[in-house]
Amino acid sequence: MKKGIGISRRDVLKAGGATATVIAVSGASAVVANAAEGPPRWAFIVDLRRCVGCRTCTVSCKAEFDVPLGRWRAVIKPVDWGIYPNNRRAFVPRLCNHCAGESEKGVPPCVEKCPEAQSGERLKMGDVRYRTGATYKRPDGMILIDMNLCIGCYKCIDACPYGVRYIDPSVKLKRPDREKDFGIGKCTFCEHRVDNGIEPSCVQACPHSARIFGDMNDPDSKVSKLIKEFNLDKNREKTTLLPQEKTVPHVFYIDPEGVLGRYKFDYKDKAKKQAEFRDNIV
Amino acid sequence: MIQLTRRNFMKFAAASGAVLATGEGMKSKALAGTVQTQTGRDFSPTTKKERQAIPTACWQCVARDSMIGFVEDGRLVKLEGHPKSIRGNGHICARGMAGINQVYDPDRILYPMKRTGARGEGKWKRITWDEAVTELTDRIKKLRDEGHPEKFIFHYGRMKASAAKLIGGLVEATGTGSIGNHTSLCEAGKWTAQELTWGGHFDNWDIDKTKFILNFGSNILETHTNHMPVAHRIMNAKVDRGVRMVTFDVRMSNTAAKSDEWIPIRQGTDMAVFLAMTNVVLNKGLYKGDGEEFLKYCKCTEKHDDTVENKVEALKKHYANYTPEWASKISGVPAAKIEQIATEYATTKPAVLIAYRGAITTYNGTDSERARMVLNSLTGNIDNPGGNCKAVGAGWASAKIPKSETKKAKDIFDGAPKGQPESYPFPTHHASHQVLPRIKASGPGTFELALWYCYTPAYANGDVQGNIDVLKDEKLLPFVVSVDPFYGDSTHYADMILPDATYLERYDWEDMVDPTQIGEYYIRQALVKPLGESRDFGDVMIEICNRLGIKTDYKTKEEYVQQSVDMTPGVKEAGGWEYMKKNGVWNDGKAKYYSYKKEVPAEAIKEAGVVYDEEAGVYWNPEKAHVTENKGYFRSKNAYKGYVATKMGDKLIAGFKPDKINKSGYMELWSQPLKDVGMNPLPEWIPAPEHANIAPDDLHLTTFKVVVQTHSRTANCKWLSEIYPQNQAWMNPKDAAARGIKDGDRIKVKSAIGEMEILAHVTENAQPGHINISHHKGHWAYGRYASGKKSPVGADDPDDANIFWKGFGTHPNWIIPNKGDRIAGYQRWNDTLVKVTKA
Repeated sequence: MKKGIGISRRDVLKAGGATATVIAVSGASAVVANAAEGPPRWAFIVDLRRCVGCRTCTVSCKAEFDVPLGRWRAVIKPVDWGIYPNNRRAFVPRLCNHCAGESEKGVPPCVEKCPEAQSGERLKMGDVRYRTGATYKRPDGMILIDMNLCIGCYKCIDACPYGVRYIDPSVKLKRPDREKDFGIGKCTFCEHRVDNGIEPSCVQACPHSARIFGDMNDPDSKVSKLIKEFNLDKNREKTTLLPQEKTVPHVFYIDPEGVLGRYKFDYKDKAKKQAEFRDNIV
Repeated sequence: MIQLTRRNFMKFAAASGAVLATGEGMKSKALAGTVQTQTGRDFSPTTKKERQAIPTACWQCVARDSMIGFVEDGRLVKLEGHPKSIRGNGHICARGMAGINQVYDPDRILYPMKRTGARGEGKWKRITWDEAVTELTDRIKKLRDEGHPEKFIFHYGRMKASAAKLIGGLVEATGTGSIGNHTSLCEAGKWTAQELTWGGHFDNWDIDKTKFILNFGSNILETHTNHMPVAHRIMNAKVDRGVRMVTFDVRMSNTAAKSDEWIPIRQGTDMAVFLAMTNVVLNKGLYKGDGEEFLKYCKCTEKHDDTVENKVEALKKHYANYTPEWASKISGVPAAKIEQIATEYATTKPAVLIAYRGAITTYNGTDSERARMVLNSLTGNIDNPGGNCKAVGAGWASAKIPKSETKKAKDIFDGAPKGQPESYPFPTHHASHQVLPRIKASGPGTFELALWYCYTPAYANGDVQGNIDVLKDEKLLPFVVSVDPFYGDSTHYADMILPDATYLERYDWEDMVDPTQIGEYYIRQALVKPLGESRDFGDVMIEICNRLGIKTDYKTKEEYVQQSVDMTPGVKEAGGWEYMKKNGVWNDGKAKYYSYKKEVPAEAIKEAGVVYDEEAGVYWNPEKAHVTENKGYFRSKNAYKGYVATKMGDKLIAGFKPDKINKSGYMELWSQPLKDVGMNPLPEWIPAPEHANIAPDDLHLTTFKVVVQTHSRTANCKWLSEIYPQNQAWMNPKDAAARGIKDGDRIKVKSAIGEMEILAHVTENAQPGHINISHHKGHWAYGRYASGKKSPVGADDPDDANIFWKGFGTHPNWIIPNKGDRIAGYQRWNDTLVKVTKA
């Protein structure tokens, strides 16, 4: 493969043809052990048939990251419709969509708006080189934040139409001129667990197997099979949140009842979209 | 290396995006990258280091799931389900996940304290453990020396497995039998009904093998005695195998919402529907086949050896008037729907019939459960794969617990106070909610010393004001000790508080029911040392007993647990304590069904003392039951303790072994013990007296539980209360409109004993004619997250500045009286009628 970032479509496919390597050994810090490999593409599937609104995901995530009160990285939104006795209720679990972004841009709005999206070190994932930043996209699709680089402009918070980012009062910025300002929190797809070969915390936690995580590039993975079975990636209008925003989410919903279509919030309003990304039972 | 520029990076991203969007990347073999599920491992998000993993067991609710605790730098940071547990399959619930909040509750009591101000004033001084234990020991010793050990009342809220065996045993070893429990607040009526019918208590629904799930009044996907072990199986059965689930409930709980069908039912009328369903099964002949076969094991008339034809005839006669039309008028469920569901339940084999709080928290509660047992019997869904099974749990051995030669108890746990027109002939799990009212009725001198263990009498029982009045009265309760890790609504009225270890800081063997019918042996071990000076009360009781001269073979509860584990067959061979500490769980892999059919060897009835009782069809041993004057099996006190076997034709079978009640070894659909107290031996519908003259503007007040809270015990868990900071009263829009109430309005809810204010939640998920108010909330002394107030010993917490909620809800028990169902005395939580107005 060619070195560097001038990676072509052909190269990616070539990498895809290489032998699969199993990682998931204790202490492994990178997902890709074999240098000849291309990176995975992580995807997250929520099976709305299975979600009972139990909030185990919500609380599991609070524990995993010790998230401060009033902030969440994973929430459940109940959706009610119909008039008694024909009323119905379903649940829409939400988290960062780890969007791919529109194809011409290749990054989601949060990365696009981050002035420091390119200021970090150069790293390699398999044969793919990439540069980290304050908010950046990894070759495997994870949208991550490096608090050492964040300048606290908070533009990413406004840029995300889903309102999943929050100012984290438990984290201070590291840049010398910004030490008094708070950092930013959001779902990381549990990069620290996934890089060690284990599923994200909320996926482990979900008692009803409503959360499935895996590699879209691996045709044998459960996510690939579900994507195929439920036509998830070709039918994003019905299987992702806010498809009109063209963020290309990589959180898909199995939704035979059409619950997503009933779930609405004012995502254009900054305060409302953030208020929506809270967990509350009435 | 080549510089990665923003432009190049974008180019790459665009390329990979294109591949994924077209799906072409998937044509080739797997790219690298795979994640494993359920590994029992966790890593720190900050240091990326692996966290130490220790198997243990939950205790956020009585389901007690096996789990893995993760520890980082000596601090407990995460809890996950134990992947090797056959009960949980790696799953715990949100409450379980938030167990960490219990350990690090900033309002926790970390050293023994003694009251300095007036009782309930909240003024305390720190004392040493030696002072505390000396005071308690001296008081127990004084009562023993005076010949009145029973003037020490020990009342627990939750105490199970090794804790029950050891702590309960050691309390009894001091000579008192005045021991109160909690079950009359939970499901006592259900248990008593099972003791009257199939003996023993606890039913397991074999979800993994069932083909139909019918549920009456159980919010099993949100909260249940065996919550997550059953709940995750239900969702698997539904989605993976297409098993249909139908839920009858007064409101649309999340369980009802996720069922294939929700059928609203008027509060307290589930029994009427059971009776009508049985009527349908009998009239349509749906009992034929499996039901007829099972009827051989049932007692349906006075004669245990009656023919199946006679049994069916007797039942048909009894059920003739319980028609779907009759039940429809009572329950509000359309008759055709009752007939349809009855037919579906009787013809989809095997099937489970779940019934819980909704069906039993009422005047007819115990009989409602008996009516369910009839329906299960007539459809052959008893103790069969995929049906309603006798529960199986671990059978631990116990290291020796010392016993008192004499034991005395106050007769105060089993009835209503004088003046209340109620009586409970079979309070087999006690009427503990009536203990405080009865102490008041008995007057001073009843008890000299009271100890609450894992119990909040002020909050947990009905009539909160009545409870507080007794708790504050130093004449009625001269000295009160509260053993609790947390400051709370009842420790507030204590004279001395002993800080207990939380469940994540202690050792136990555990035995909760296994949904696979195998029976899981599992343990709880300390993940961190008890915070501050807190101590497992098991250790404290050992010390007290030792000081009283009562010897034990162990100095700590951990030693007791270890000795017991090492003695237990199966576990012992697997490696005993060391094996369990490493693995946390063990099972023998054998599922247990049809236990009643098991043949008993003829030698068993040839043993000295064993006699045959013709009336009951039972071989029993009066000597073993300590029966001196044999008045026949049914009428000799505690005869069931001598039960040996049941004679069925020329066979000798294990039968449905009795427990607590002298029933035969048959499934007693027709109950001799009930007949003997003048009640109908077959299930009988008797309307609740309160509901006889229901006014048009009365609403049924029902209480419920929420998926992120457990009873009274989790409101100060910050991750749970931030999701559910306050409860609101669910009302249907029609009922709200009729009273000029809008969503979010403050309303007044008035019952016969009091009035409360709460916010209204106007929702289509509430049934007209009902108002539903959850438990859990409205604490007044239980910590900052629960009540808005720091405890008197509360410490600062980094999250204090982030508490965003101002409302803490209202506890419905202020306006619900303490009453009992007509057979077991089980608290009738849902029989209260209320008037609702805008505040």
